[in-house]
Amino acid sequence: MSELLTGAQILRRTLVDAGVEVMFGYPGGAIMPFYDALHGQLPRHILVRHEQAAAHAADGYARASNRVGVCVATSGPGATNLVTGLATAHMDGSPVLAITGQVGRPMLGRDAFQETDVVGVTLPVTKHNVLVRDVEDLADDVREAMAIAMEGRPGPVLVDVPKDVQNQKAEYRSRTEPIRREQRDPGREPPDDATLREVARLIAEAQRPLLMIGRGVIVSGAYAEVRELAERTGTPVITTLLGISAFPDGHPLFLGMPGMHGEVRVNRAIQHADLIVGIGLRFDDRVTGNTAGFAPRARIIHIDLDRAEIGKNVPVALGIVGDARDVTRRLAALVQPRTCERWLGEIREFTRPRAAAFRGDLAPETILASLYQATEGRCTIVTDVGQHQMWVAKLYPYREPNSHITSGGLGTMGFAVPAAMGVHLARPGETVWAISGDGGFQMNMAEIATMVQERLPVKMAIFNNGYLGMVRQWQQFFHGKRYSCTPIWSPDYVKLAEAYGIPGWRVKEAAELPDVVAQANDHSGPALVEFVIEQEANVYPMIPPGGSLSEPIETAPAGAGD
Amino acid sequence: MPVSHTVAVLLDDALLTLNRAVGVLRRRNVPIERLALRPTATAGVSQLTFILKADAATADRVAQQFHKIVGVRDVVLAATEDSTREVQS
Repeated sequence: MSELLTGAQILRRTLVDAGVEVMFGYPGGAIMPFYDALHGQLPRHILVRHEQAAAHAADGYARASNRVGVCVATSGPGATNLVTGLATAHMDGSPVLAITGQVGRPMLGRDAFQETDVVGVTLPVTKHNVLVRDVEDLADDVREAMAIAMEGRPGPVLVDVPKDVQNQKAEYRSRTEPIRREQRDPGREPPDDATLREVARLIAEAQRPLLMIGRGVIVSGAYAEVRELAERTGTPVITTLLGISAFPDGHPLFLGMPGMHGEVRVNRAIQHADLIVGIGLRFDDRVTGNTAGFAPRARIIHIDLDRAEIGKNVPVALGIVGDARDVTRRLAALVQPRTCERWLGEIREFTRPRAAAFRGDLAPETILASLYQATEGRCTIVTDVGQHQMWVAKLYPYREPNSHITSGGLGTMGFAVPAAMGVHLARPGETVWAISGDGGFQMNMAEIATMVQERLPVKMAIFNNGYLGMVRQWQQFFHGKRYSCTPIWSPDYVKLAEAYGIPGWRVKEAAELPDVVAQANDHSGPALVEFVIEQEANVYPMIPPGGSLSEPIETAPAGAGD
Repeated sequence: MPVSHTVAVLLDDALLTLNRAVGVLRRRNVPIERLALRPTATAGVSQLTFILKADAATADRVAQQFHKIVGVRDVVLAATEDSTREVQS
């Protein structure tokens, strides 16, 4: 069966046939034929207020659904505005498809109006990208890009479609068989049994073993397998920032997040461990601190889907390339049941009282407790970047798998609000809270209009301390308390909410929390709550940049006291 | 101990693939000493050869990065003396 369609129609049909239900975008000159083909048709299109938000929303959708999230922009400025979102998705391994309009082929390379070499611009921040040369290639170029986005370690892809290709006519051939490409990576055969038996032996022999798990566990859905491995071997579990919610908070083997803002006992456990089994993480520098002093007593076994990650940041005793779920399932079947009571007792001894970082009673811990109470722990929390992100990562008790979404590797401020829109569309029946600081919120707050127009009931929380708080904290600790360009003014957020026609609250006292948070949570549409928190509160403990996990800062350094 | 390693990358004879491969060398801050591109006996396949000074583990990690590029068919990490050898495709 085939029929004659325009490139724009073929593009739309290809997306629908690939199962795309929603996409985020912004029209413009070079993508107009596609928008014309979209008129009154599926997939559903969410009109954002800035293309960056389209990329973050597609990313949020992808992370929440483990499917490809799609964003659309025109050529030139539309396409370049996607770049931050693609780089964010690239760092965190999120499958995003960006479709960009491009000037017509006769104009390519002539600095035409709104022409940018977006394939060149996005080369280092995409897994794959392509300029469609002819309408005959269009459908397969899109299918191939979507396949690449999902296969192995997921990542963003971009398909650049010249305007005249969108207007060309061709037969549309639907395709049910998977797109064929040359499989060239010989490193993908599953690990052999002997290797896994060796890992099982090392676990059996270890006195102080640790499991460190990252986003790879979420991507492969290895929750039950990791839990079984941990429980059978009594091994305590550490989750990286992007691994949070992959293991239930409150489980007796759960330790928490490591690294720059990890609790002292978590980092000390790493420094005392004699074996670390890392699954689906990349030992990023915010996790390891100075690698020379990282886990000095431990042999490291690294299990990851991306073989270029094995040994990239820390030396490993054994590297296993494979899917987290497959490898962990096989490993859990091989290990001898054991417990590590003495080791768990040692780790308990590492626990330090949390430094009093807050004046007044509206502490982040109290705010997050009220949020947990209002949602009964059944919501997805999307965080931005900075102090609030670390407070949420450390203090919110996640129970549902993949219920914590944040920009980890790139650390993109402005991520939370648009990404939460994508999360809502991936999980329409569930509650989504976007938590931001007053800095990050102001970067993409124009998206409230998108939420209102498209009826996306995202709940927004702003932790307002009047500063770019994390940078201010660094200035306090490392730059003699010179707060250069970090005080930041905010509009009246309650009036802002009113201007958009949504409910808004300002909370200054803990006593107001239960009522306000419950009202916002139960509201049927988007809602906004501003929490006015202590201005110079800090995130403790902190490993100074380049420092060792063994040397945390637990109070403000002398001369920088508050 | 840094010594010279030769990496030969067999890749699609396409500007975008070549751009991607050279981009990895630049982005990953690979200490390149020499760089060459030549056709192979197979139509549509080129060979990008580069020599880098690094320890064996670093050289291997660099080679691994090329496996991830769409359009790369094979990556061969050759002994130092073999830098001029043509890799059979």
